[in-house]
Amino acid sequence: MNADQVRAHIDPIRHEYAEARSLILPALKFAQTEKGHLTREDLEAVGEATGFSAAYVESVASFYDRLYLAPTGARVVSVCVTLSCMLRGADEVWDHLCEREGVSHHGGTSEDGRITIQEAQCLGYCDRAPCIQADAEETKGPFTPGSAAAFVDALRAAPDPHEFWR
Amino acid sequence: MPILNSVYRHREAGHVLTELVAYRAAGGFAAIEQSIGEMEPDDLLYVFHRSGLRGRGGAGFPMGRKASFLPKDAKLAKYVVCNADESEPGTFKDREIIEMNPFQLIEGMVLAGYAIGADRGYIYIRGEYEHQARVLDAALIAAREAGFLGDNILRSDFSYDITLYRGAGAYICGEETGLLESLEGKRGQPRLKPPFPAVAGLYSSPTLINNVETLSALPPIVTQGADWYAALGPEKSPGTKIFSVSGHVQRPGNYEVVLGETTLRELIYEHAGGLREGHQVKAVWVGGSSVPVLGAMHLDTPLDYESLNAAGTFLGSGGCIVMDDSGCIVRATLRLASFYRHESCGKCTPCREGTNWMERILQRMVDGEGRMEDLELLESLFGRISGKVLCALADGAVAPVASAIKMFREDFVAAVTDGGTPRPAPMSVVEVR
Amino acid sequence: MADYAPVDLAADNLVTFELNGRTVSAPAGTMLVDAAYAAGVEIPIFCYEPRLGPPIGACRMCLVEIEGMRGLQTACSTPVTEDMVVRTNSPMAKDAQDGVLEMLLAQHPLDCPVCDKGGECPLQDRTFKFGPGKSRFIEPKRHFPKPIELSSRIALDRERCISCFRCVRFSQDVAQDGQLTMQERGARSEITTFTGDAYEARFSGNITDICPVGALTSIPYRFVARPWDITNTPSVCGSCPVGCNTELTTRDGELKRITGRDTPNVAVEEGWLCDKGRWGYDIAMSPNRLSAPVVREAVGDRTVSIEDGVAAAASLLTGRRVGILLGGAVTLEEAGIALDLATNGTLDNAVVARLGVASGNCAPVRAATGAQLGDIDAADLVVIVGGDPAAQQPIVELRVRKARRFGARVIGCGARPHALESLGDFTRTAPGHLADGMMGLADAISNAARPVVLWDEADLASDPGAIAALTALLAASPHATQLMLGADVNGVGLSALGVSTTGLFEAIAADEVDAVICVHADPLEAAGSIAWQAVFDGFRGPVIAIATYASAMTERADLVLPALTMWEQEGTLVSMTHRAQRLRPGAAGPAQAAAGWELLIAIAHHLGHPPAYRTAASAFTHTVASHPAFFGMTTDLIGTDGVVIGAWPADDVSPAAIVADPDHLVLVATRDTFGDDMTARSHALRTAVSAPVLRMHPATAQALWLNEHDHAVLISDVGSSSALPVLCDARVAEGLIVGPLGAPGSPIEGALSRNQHQAIVRVERT
Ligand SMILES: Cc1cc2nc3c(=O)[nH]c(=O)nc-3n(C[C@H](O)[C@H](O)[C@H](O)COP(=O)(O)O)c2cc1C
Ligand code: SF4
Ligand code: FES
Repeated sequence: MNADQVRAHIDPIRHEYAEARSLILPALKFAQTEKGHLTREDLEAVGEATGFSAAYVESVASFYDRLYLAPTGARVVSVCVTLSCMLRGADEVWDHLCEREGVSHHGGTSEDGRITIQEAQCLGYCDRAPCIQADAEETKGPFTPGSAAAFVDALRAAPDPHEFWR
Repeated sequence: MPILNSVYRHREAGHVLTELVAYRAAGGFAAIEQSIGEMEPDDLLYVFHRSGLRGRGGAGFPMGRKASFLPKDAKLAKYVVCNADESEPGTFKDREIIEMNPFQLIEGMVLAGYAIGADRGYIYIRGEYEHQARVLDAALIAAREAGFLGDNILRSDFSYDITLYRGAGAYICGEETGLLESLEGKRGQPRLKPPFPAVAGLYSSPTLINNVETLSALPPIVTQGADWYAALGPEKSPGTKIFSVSGHVQRPGNYEVVLGETTLRELIYEHAGGLREGHQVKAVWVGGSSVPVLGAMHLDTPLDYESLNAAGTFLGSGGCIVMDDSGCIVRATLRLASFYRHESCGKCTPCREGTNWMERILQRMVDGEGRMEDLELLESLFGRISGKVLCALADGAVAPVASAIKMFREDFVAAVTDGGTPRPAPMSVVEVR
Repeated sequence: MADYAPVDLAADNLVTFELNGRTVSAPAGTMLVDAAYAAGVEIPIFCYEPRLGPPIGACRMCLVEIEGMRGLQTACSTPVTEDMVVRTNSPMAKDAQDGVLEMLLAQHPLDCPVCDKGGECPLQDRTFKFGPGKSRFIEPKRHFPKPIELSSRIALDRERCISCFRCVRFSQDVAQDGQLTMQERGARSEITTFTGDAYEARFSGNITDICPVGALTSIPYRFVARPWDITNTPSVCGSCPVGCNTELTTRDGELKRITGRDTPNVAVEEGWLCDKGRWGYDIAMSPNRLSAPVVREAVGDRTVSIEDGVAAAASLLTGRRVGILLGGAVTLEEAGIALDLATNGTLDNAVVARLGVASGNCAPVRAATGAQLGDIDAADLVVIVGGDPAAQQPIVELRVRKARRFGARVIGCGARPHALESLGDFTRTAPGHLADGMMGLADAISNAARPVVLWDEADLASDPGAIAALTALLAASPHATQLMLGADVNGVGLSALGVSTTGLFEAIAADEVDAVICVHADPLEAAGSIAWQAVFDGFRGPVIAIATYASAMTERADLVLPALTMWEQEGTLVSMTHRAQRLRPGAAGPAQAAAGWELLIAIAHHLGHPPAYRTAASAFTHTVASHPAFFGMTTDLIGTDGVVIGAWPADDVSPAAIVADPDHLVLVATRDTFGDDMTARSHALRTAVSAPVLRMHPATAQALWLNEHDHAVLISDVGSSSALPVLCDARVAEGLIVGPLGAPGSPIEGALSRNQHQAIVRVERT
């Protein structure tokens, strides 16, 4: 994404903030919608559009779990592993998905590049524990290892989203 | 078992109120009509104050009092910030309010803004709630079109709008000054206090920060009166509170109760459907995970701020996580310790290093590499982390660990002597449709 | 570094409070850590560094007990109040200190024996003083490939980092270069730059001074010395007219390191140095350093001993009418001796002049109250008239940024665009029209409570209208103070001694001189080099060069006497803020070289006129006694912090004014301290060098049929420049060309007249 595209997104909301720095996070989230992660060029574009150094923009981005500084799969699947989900089988779901996707128990991207699975901290869906989130848009539960695998398969088969909100 | 569904209109109506007409039909916006341009802002503030409403985000600070700390004569802009970061483990009540009843939050924010003379309101919503953010986006547009937001609200002199700000995945941005830093486009690292946000908050301007549930309680307080609200429940803990119940219960979900009138046992067994046959309560984190854990002997504690304090814990966010006797307290504690290690912002030494250290020791215990002296080591760390830092995250990290070791010491000793703890079978669940 | 802020115990708003049972006082609002330190109680700190801005309270090392307050408080962020009762050594406070240190050391590699910071490391010192006996952390520590090069000058060892945020705050808030940041979160936090790029910034070295552990260290100093085999000497930097206070670290007679002082000079640099002042000293070891006298004879060059060299100098001068040309960086002592020899009968009626930018008749401006750099901090309005401070007087940049951070407005006008313009509102003026730009500043100055006006010596001197306008502007506000952005390192000192930029050239041309001594001066590489070349071409007498490095003049001279550098000799320099400060030697220098003052004294001896002084100190005493601006000054008075000299009557002649008009292009020269000859020869600064370019507005370039990177020469009345690449910069006024003064090989000096920094030029593409 280039600086003009970022500007086109943030200029209409500029007036809502007393300081331009506030635009960095919205700009980063928007820039990420293009590829699903942030490249060096994206960070530079956000820096240019907001008036801050690319280094600063990167340091902000790196603070947040849901801004990705390295490439991800077409879909990012977050498996909640916090206490409520754990009590209802999150670890079993996690282990099963890691094994099926062929990634280490720390998570990672499947070989076909379709799916990144990652551990998530409490997603606020403990009433549907154990829950899984696809990007940041769709959160579901409760899952068993089997139903979780089916959910991931459906994601794998589905067309890529238009914009990546993760 | 009294159930009260009169504060949050979607619960009263029994269905979602995401359409503006539906919200109006359920009595929505009456509070705005009654107060904006009709009441002196100070009088409105006094209504909040008299209601006795306490913050529902975790700390339980009286809302009206906090609002009264904002300097009255300041030439600086003033802001209302709604904390919708809801990341406390076990808490999902704000999600429900936003998903089902976004206008009540908006209405509450307009009332708060009017009372303090704010220029703008911000809703800081956690990045993982993208769906909820879209619901709010739509509601904000509808409210603006209907004249409840924007210039000269209901043709009064009061102009005020709300900006929705999406977070990007960081629990610490729920801490109020971490939130403000994040909203200012920085890393969400908490600030030194004082100055408190009421004096120097967003952009160094006076700022009122409240939780979704707190702000959403304001409209009925206006329409039904402060006295009505103050009369619900005990004097120091009036009103209703939504408890999010999860874990080893049959019917996890949100339950709104009048404070002081329901016990923990009733919440678990009557509202949340109780445990599986043949199981007993082992541990309960009643106010989210950042509070000391309770055991079966605490089940008859009434749910209100004072009674829970007396039982040695906090009401917190109302995220009530229940573990029955099939669970392993050492593993549960480790899981929470991992959460705090993952979420520590890294600014304060004791929190950055201490959360990491606690997790590593607990991990060794679970893995069968624990030593007897590790328990004393852990215990000696608590006081060196808790209270030694800028914000309450570290206290929240210590509380569940310290209390678990105190209450269930024998389980930790067994983890050392037995060479670790096996992973227990989880509660089986009904698959998603 | 000095971690604690100085405390003024003579202030009139003192409060009294109890500290560990003692009653002590400090001005209200003083942070407890500073107040305690002033009272002799050290509260340990890591993240606190008052020069970086408000405290952040991150490391938690300074926790103390304050009666009436719940828990412990961070003393770095708690201002003292009347009757406060503080305990820094109670069991609770001790346990907290112990605890924080244990946490800090948990992941620390404890590799002190191989760490450059070892022996002068706050973490090490405080661990001994306040820390736990042993670590209880048995888990594997975090590992990074160690260490990495943050730049060619700074090594980063992430394992040693304690996340105190000091370096990040320096980069983001003080230098505002934006490059150094904290990345990731929590226990994974680490210091880094954008995607790991090099940290290339002009003040980057300061992070090695403020890092309280061995995480950020100077690469040139890696493994070079240990604290117990070094000596530290307070001195000043002679790389530019600012005169930052430095500390020279010497081992075995060799200069190994330059740092800011332990106790920074708050009136000058506040402990910050630019990278050139910190690392540029390695040019003293560069190949073109002169290390032995050379006698140039028909049969060839002859290297002789320093004694023979001095004797040869004396015999060349005997019976001749002598001219002495001083460089802009010669010390007061050297200039004072030259003047003395010229008048005391040693070198009968010698003509003494200096090389450099003519300072013109700026006396009316200087008559307004003068400010020190430290005064900029408190200004509510900073006005910059002309100049290019960030390039020419680097440390000024940090002061202006600091004032801006504190809320000051920054405004100004001038012909050359510069880095500080982004801090406020600036008007571009055409050369010779500074007065126009100043009209727009009057209101702001008269409305300000504490305005400080920074004005460029060279720009003002060559613009008589501007001198009058600025004088009037300063008179318009009773609160206004002024600070000159000087052109030459010791320009003020030389000017106060009455040494002018004129006289000698004319005397040579008129055949009134038949021997010339150049002291740290190379007219063949200076502005007006073509004219100088011409007079020297016709000059038949001997030329003696007292110099440190080989240059055009040392090639031309009949006798070269190698001189010591500013790091090797004693002497006094007067900064642009009129502050006399002492150079003290931190290295021995080549055996067959000597300080300029020593050489001049030795020559006098050989001429049979032993002067009344033999040492730099006695030469100083002799010099100050005969020049009114220095009356009463002693080396004691100068001390380590320097002292502001008095007024002096004489002013230099003004150079001819160059006034821009639409039909002509004007060259304005700027000396970028990082683009000069010295930087170019430093190994340590090899990645910091700014390349010489001709900067011009794109429209100007277009009108000249030039594209960016094309090479062009400038041709003036007096001569022409070498070819230099074109750089388009829309901030430069149309019709103006900004060229590099003092760049290696003196590319533009040929197009300038003597002592001028501006010229009307034609441009030709090459
Ligand atoms: C680590 C940490 C996380 C927090 N997270 C949240 C949160 O997600 N939502 C929230 O409303 N308050 C949270 N809080 C509490 C806020 O700091 C603050 O007290 C609250 O937003 C005030 O609103 P209230 O008075 O309406 O409760 C958190 C506090 C801490 C220390
Ligand atoms: S206590 Fe932890 S989370 Fe809070 S500011 Fe300090 S380091 Fe950050
Ligand atoms: S613990 Fe998983 S959603 Fe809350």
